[in-house]
Amino acid sequence: MEKILDARGLKCPMPIAKAKKELESLGAQDVLKVLATDKGSVLDMQGWAKANKRINLIKQETETDESGREIYVHYLARLS
Amino acid sequence: MGDSTEITPRELFERLVTRGETPPILDVRNEDEFAAWKIEGIRPLAHLNVPYFGFIDEPERSAEQVARAGDNWIAVCAKGDSSAFVAEILRERGMRAVNLVGGMEAWGNLHVPVRVDDGSRGFELWQIDRYGKGCLSYALLAGGQAIIVDASRHLEVYETFLRERRARVVQVLDTHVHADHLSGGAELARRAGAPFFVATGAGVDLRRAVRPLVDGTELTLGGGAGGAAVTVRVIATPGHTPGSMCYLVDGRWLLSGDTIFVSGIGRPDLGGQVEVWGRALFRTLHEGPLSALPDDVVVLPAHFASPTELDRRGVVERRLGDIRAASPELALPTEAAFVEAMRRAVKAPPDVYGKIIAANLSPADVPDEQASEWELGKNQCAASVPAAPRG
Repeated sequence: MEKILDARGLKCPMPIAKAKKELESLGAQDVLKVLATDKGSVLDMQGWAKANKRINLIKQETETDESGREIYVHYLARLS
Repeated sequence: MGDSTEITPRELFERLVTRGETPPILDVRNEDEFAAWKIEGIRPLAHLNVPYFGFIDEPERSAEQVARAGDNWIAVCAKGDSSAFVAEILRERGMRAVNLVGGMEAWGNLHVPVRVDDGSRGFELWQIDRYGKGCLSYALLAGGQAIIVDASRHLEVYETFLRERRARVVQVLDTHVHADHLSGGAELARRAGAPFFVATGAGVDLRRAVRPLVDGTELTLGGGAGGAAVTVRVIATPGHTPGSMCYLVDGRWLLSGDTIFVSGIGRPDLGGQVEVWGRALFRTLHEGPLSALPDDVVVLPAHFASPTELDRRGVVERRLGDIRAASPELALPTEAAFVEAMRRAVKAPPDVYGKIIAANLSPADVPDEQASEWELGKNQCAASVPAAPRG
């Protein structure tokens, strides 16, 4: 299952705070897709996954939404 | 400040620079951002880097790690929100912590005007210190008129400063096309109805309106109704860029742009032609009109690399003679040796410098958010070579 967390427009630390909460409610096979507009989230997600051995950052992508905004997309899963 | 939970960039500047304090800094950005750029004082600071996501995962453990390292923290992050969250966690556990409002972004945008002259000449020369980035711009005031040199894009800084002093801009100058930050010169001039000048050198197209000036031109400021007048002489100093100019104020202060710094000189490689620009810089330093200036001239550069370059008054300045005597860059005997030393002295510039140069040549505005992102971090405009062994 893939669940989407819409963190667009949210500033740090909210994208990671919300992602952590969502991941706790997901199963080990599930993927959390986080949408963020804060560019800082790209390095922060990498740093988080490096520091927290229970977080798997599967991949990161950049998309452009309808209004031309850059959206940073992070795919996360739980490791446990 | 008292019980406050926040500190503004200006208040932090007062503590670090004016009072020379060394408060412990808790930087909660990720390791890469922390390694690339951090808060500096005029004395060395103790930093602790604990990324904010550690406080989301394990607040107790992260807070204990901070408690073991000390107390009375200034918490810092990229934009000031994560550090506010962390400072609150620390305060809930009985520690003292204040948050730097606006984070490193606001720190890099703080501009502090510092008076350069001693007030005895009937005009005012101010260095406007964008401390976090190490960028310096200048305001020269006489008889209600002002010349602004190397303005940043934060026009409100200059406009507020001039309004308080009842001065109006009559000329805006850039020393060169900047690579590390966006120039506000053209827009400041447009808003003031004053001419703007920057030179690109041959082969580069500047798509902004300028009133051209050439080597040797003298501008006069003030002098109306019996007031003092001050002259500014334009000096061509190609090298850091082909169009680089220095401005000599009252025969005494050299606004040297990125040609000569208090320590080091301007890197000649940012155009990807270190050979050609490096040779031009060598000739500027040893043969051109700059080389004929007396030792008593005081150099006021467009950047500093370290806060140790601020003198006791907080001004970044140094006698040209002292720079000549101390700089290994100026002791290199031949063009070839100089170019080779420059090649070795510089690391690849940040990728974003190409975009900033293009934006500074273009008439198009860069959106604020984009500009903030491009300008993050300290300038990397200098080339310093190791001192030659003595004896």
